[in-house]
Amino acid sequence: MSASQSVFAGWMEIAPSAVEDEARQQVEEEALEALVGQYASTLYRVAFSILRNPSDAEDAVQEAFLRVLRHRDTLGEIRDHRVWLIRIVWNIVLDRKRRAKTRPETDDVAELARVLPAEGLSAEQRAAAAQHHAHVLSCVDRLPKKEREVMVLSAFEELTSVEIASVLGITESSVRSRLFRARNLMGSLLQHSRSLR
Amino acid sequence: MNSHSHDGFDLKTGPGSGSSEAETTLRVIAGLPAPEGLEQRVNASLRHAPRSTSVLHWPAGQRSSWMQNTWARTAAAAAIVFVVAGGGWEVYSRVQPAQPSSAIALPPVATHRGFSSANAMRTPRTLNGTVLTHPLPDTAAEKRPTDGAKKPLKKTAAKPVAP
Repeated sequence: MSASQSVFAGWMEIAPSAVEDEARQQVEEEALEALVGQYASTLYRVAFSILRNPSDAEDAVQEAFLRVLRHRDTLGEIRDHRVWLIRIVWNIVLDRKRRAKTRPETDDVAELARVLPAEGLSAEQRAAAAQHHAHVLSCVDRLPKKEREVMVLSAFEELTSVEIASVLGITESSVRSRLFRARNLMGSLLQHSRSLR
Repeated sequence: MNSHSHDGFDLKTGPGSGSSEAETTLRVIAGLPAPEGLEQRVNASLRHAPRSTSVLHWPAGQRSSWMQNTWARTAAAAAIVFVVAGGGWEVYSRVQPAQPSSAIALPPVATHRGFSSANAMRTPRTLNGTVLTHPLPDTAAEKRPTDGAKKPLKKTAAKPVAP
């Protein structure tokens, strides 16, 4: 092959061969399916903790994995897939919540009673528990945004403070200080609401 | 896995009793199980999603046939270069650039009214410098005192004489 031929061949190289392309696509699909199987449940719970609506949370999870599909070329560069995926779904749910501006579905006590686990509880106990949780959640919603976000994420047992800081894009010390303020605010909010009753 | 209590500050248990209620509720919400078949639905939506992010999707069937041949691609590239260069040369050879004119055509001057220049060519006075028709008298020498006292000389500009 002459020099001009090699130049033209290199210039006209549009894509690898079809066989390589299909094999690469197969590998990507398998990797993506593994990610879905491993983290879809976690992402759903993160989405539900903000949106408090099962169908919206599932939509958010699907959108998160569609974004991963679009940026699948960068999958190899990601160090911690779990935190990366949680960060993606976190941004999606915050964006959806900002756009929707609607009250969460679980503010309805009956809907919350339907969603919450109720093993060994009578119907009355279940209703009372749902009412209590709904009241607490309404107090959580009254927290400032930064403190509320840290408090919601800290409820996930599998997330460390370092990972919460990574999801929110802040330092670990900020996570701790915000959580401290959130707890104090929550205490005073719940105390104030009890005194009004 | 958790590193919440390693520095004396537990992320999962709050300092106040009120906040612990909130954290219990949030933990209940965070621990809710995902609905059945979530993974299958997500995988199905991913399978139906468009795979390529390119603006122009090149068909895979055509790409795998003659475009993989190096000679064919070289010939196609040469044909493209030939057509583009030939078209450019054809346009260049047909459209000649306009020659710049050597004389400037002045607009006709209406002479039927007012004064005319009688075809006189006006020459600027400063074209060849000032022309003195009479020699300047040496006024500086006349005014110079004889005792040798020096006075500052005044600069006297020579008045140009009209030709």
